[in-house]
Amino acid sequence: MSASAIAETTSVPATTPPVAPPSFSTLALRWYRLNRDGLRAIAIGIVSLAAFLLVWHLLTTYRVVFFVRFTNVPSPLAVYASFTKAIHDPKFLMHIVLSCRRIFIGFSLAAIVGVPLGLIMGRFKLAHEIIFPVAEVLRPIPAIAWVPMAIMLWPTNEQSIVYITFLGSFFPILVNTLHGMSLVDPVLVRAAQCLGARERSIFREVYFPASLPHIFTGLTVGMGVAWVSLIAAEMISGQYGIGYFTWEAYSLVQYADIALGMIAIGVLGLGSSMLIRGAGRLVMPWRLK
Amino acid sequence: MVRHLPTLSIAMSVTSLALLLAPPASAETVTLGIGIQDTTTNTVTAGAVIRQLHLLEKYLPKDGKYANIKFEIEWQNFTSGPPVTNAMMANKLQIGMMGDYPLIVNGFTFDSNPESKSRLIGIAAYSLSGSGNGIVVHKDSPYYDLADLKGKLVSVPFGSAAHGMVLKAMQDRGYGSDFFQLVSQSPEVGSTNLQEKKIDAHADFVPFAELLPFRGFARKIFDGVETNLPTFHGIVARTDFAEKYPEVVVAYFKALIAANQWLRDDPKLAAEKIQEWTGINKEVVYIFLGPGGNMTTDPTIKPALIDAATADVKVLQNLGRMKEFDPKKWVDDSYIRKAFAEMKLDYDAQLASTKNYEISGEDSFCKKPITDPRKAGEVWVDDAGILPFSSAACTLGAYADFKAKGKKINVAYVFDGTRGIKLFANQAFFAVGNGEVAPFLLKKDAEAYAAKISGKVLGFDDAVKAAVGGGKT
Repeated sequence: MSASAIAETTSVPATTPPVAPPSFSTLALRWYRLNRDGLRAIAIGIVSLAAFLLVWHLLTTYRVVFFVRFTNVPSPLAVYASFTKAIHDPKFLMHIVLSCRRIFIGFSLAAIVGVPLGLIMGRFKLAHEIIFPVAEVLRPIPAIAWVPMAIMLWPTNEQSIVYITFLGSFFPILVNTLHGMSLVDPVLVRAAQCLGARERSIFREVYFPASLPHIFTGLTVGMGVAWVSLIAAEMISGQYGIGYFTWEAYSLVQYADIALGMIAIGVLGLGSSMLIRGAGRLVMPWRLK
Repeated sequence: MVRHLPTLSIAMSVTSLALLLAPPASAETVTLGIGIQDTTTNTVTAGAVIRQLHLLEKYLPKDGKYANIKFEIEWQNFTSGPPVTNAMMANKLQIGMMGDYPLIVNGFTFDSNPESKSRLIGIAAYSLSGSGNGIVVHKDSPYYDLADLKGKLVSVPFGSAAHGMVLKAMQDRGYGSDFFQLVSQSPEVGSTNLQEKKIDAHADFVPFAELLPFRGFARKIFDGVETNLPTFHGIVARTDFAEKYPEVVVAYFKALIAANQWLRDDPKLAAEKIQEWTGINKEVVYIFLGPGGNMTTDPTIKPALIDAATADVKVLQNLGRMKEFDPKKWVDDSYIRKAFAEMKLDYDAQLASTKNYEISGEDSFCKKPITDPRKAGEVWVDDAGILPFSSAACTLGAYADFKAKGKKINVAYVFDGTRGIKLFANQAFFAVGNGEVAPFLLKKDAEAYAAKISGKVLGFDDAVKAAVGGGKT
């Protein structure tokens, strides 16, 4: 922005006479112009979801078979019937609340441990050399394989469940933080050092903000994986949780309830990822848009 | 001259390859998927044994309409019934086996399948008294009866035969639905949780109520016999397959009859082989499938079992898990009847009989023949085999004798004094006094009997000493 431009914008209010407040229609128009892209995305999103539902409805109503078989897949209406039954059942709310709590605790712990660990590993080679091999061995182990060990490791089942969701989100957070650290421009670091910054300041002012975008990518992915591991984790629960709900529906072969559980996990996963993206915008205003 | 040879040989090999790859025009391959449960010991004669001994291949029809059909048999192993139902719905399996509750869910689920229904076509094994399902607690816990579990955390795989047993037991005793804190856990999860003492009790189906005590960390405090509701594992088939290839289903039953015969011909060998094939300890296999065992292998579809299924349907309906379903219409015994007829066996005679095979022979320790098999016992000596004894006292006496001679003993079996079910001797409670040694599953039964004979209740080691001393305490 040039100096003349600044002078121009600041001088404008002084020279123009006060204007009448803009009419409602102008405001609406202005709001529409500002949010046009967002609205467009929402509209297209709704259309695409509706199309998905319609295709699902048609495939299951006509029991389509073309290599993939929809003969016994529950229809959207059957799932909706399950849903109306479920929302009148206080237990269903309990399932959702408990699952959200488990994910929240597991995910928060993963973020609290994963981000600093990633920063330290990215900054200090020795820490990287010690921790990286262990992390790489543990990372590919699927959540369901952890079930017996988790039961034995932790004194209560609730802790075992949280532990599995923790593992799910921990590794994506760690790996993305590390990746962010490796991409920090060394010129920036050297510049800070030349200006006499100490290690602490460099960490706070250079490394951390520079790797924040990647940290948030890690958090978003980590949140997704936490939900992915939920069914495995809640196999232990035996009573509550949306993952348990889905698992129990499977053991009683109730297809509509299985689909309802799957969709509930999907929607909750979407909601929590949106929360993280929102937090990311707040923390990194310079990346707005 | 020489140059021509490679060309010729290439031409020849191409031709022969083409001949190999192109199947005869009329041949057809049909895949038969059978869903089995290797670890659910009472289904092994309908699954693992037929698979390992290749019995189905032996009986498959090969002429007439089958001359040009090649059957490819796919055995798929699961640890519980619902995944079998799921795969049957998807037509990945055509025949499946599972316990009573999952069977009903299977039949009911298929009601809404437009392609095919499922029919109960035979039985793998049953217990008319309901044994096989049971409730176990950690061996260090202070619980000896269901009543002790009031308000405690009890897990059971929901939708399983064991779940049905728990509900029936609660109903029989007039316990409200909140008497236990009942949660759903699969056998794998429940076993680990019990070992870690995270739950107070675990109810499960065959073989876990015997397997967990045998593995040394659990104690059985409730056996399905107390509900007196028959339990069974049965075989279901998709009607579209069975109607198209009825002879194949008949062949499967011939294989099942042969497998049951193989088991009874040499139960010890069978137990050892089944351990090798399924990983369940042979001592546990034997307590279910050996003579006087807690399960009877008999493929006929007994009316008592269907009545039990009808009762199970009511339980599921009360839980809101099921709508209308009539087990009587779901049974189809035509295939098993045909197999019996073709093997020159009498189906109706077998249908009427509820006898298991029993322990027999000569007691080598007390030197007398075995007259009452349900008061007898057995000792499995590592190198000498499984030896029968005429009474619990003789069994324990022989046990002490083998020990004194330095023999390695795998396990000893006795029978419960009131319920006639087979027990691991080292898990039983013994009422000892007046020259009598009477084993019991439950401490309270042993106490009641001890009061009657003015004796006292002993654990296994003390009971062995008492038996050597002539049944005096």
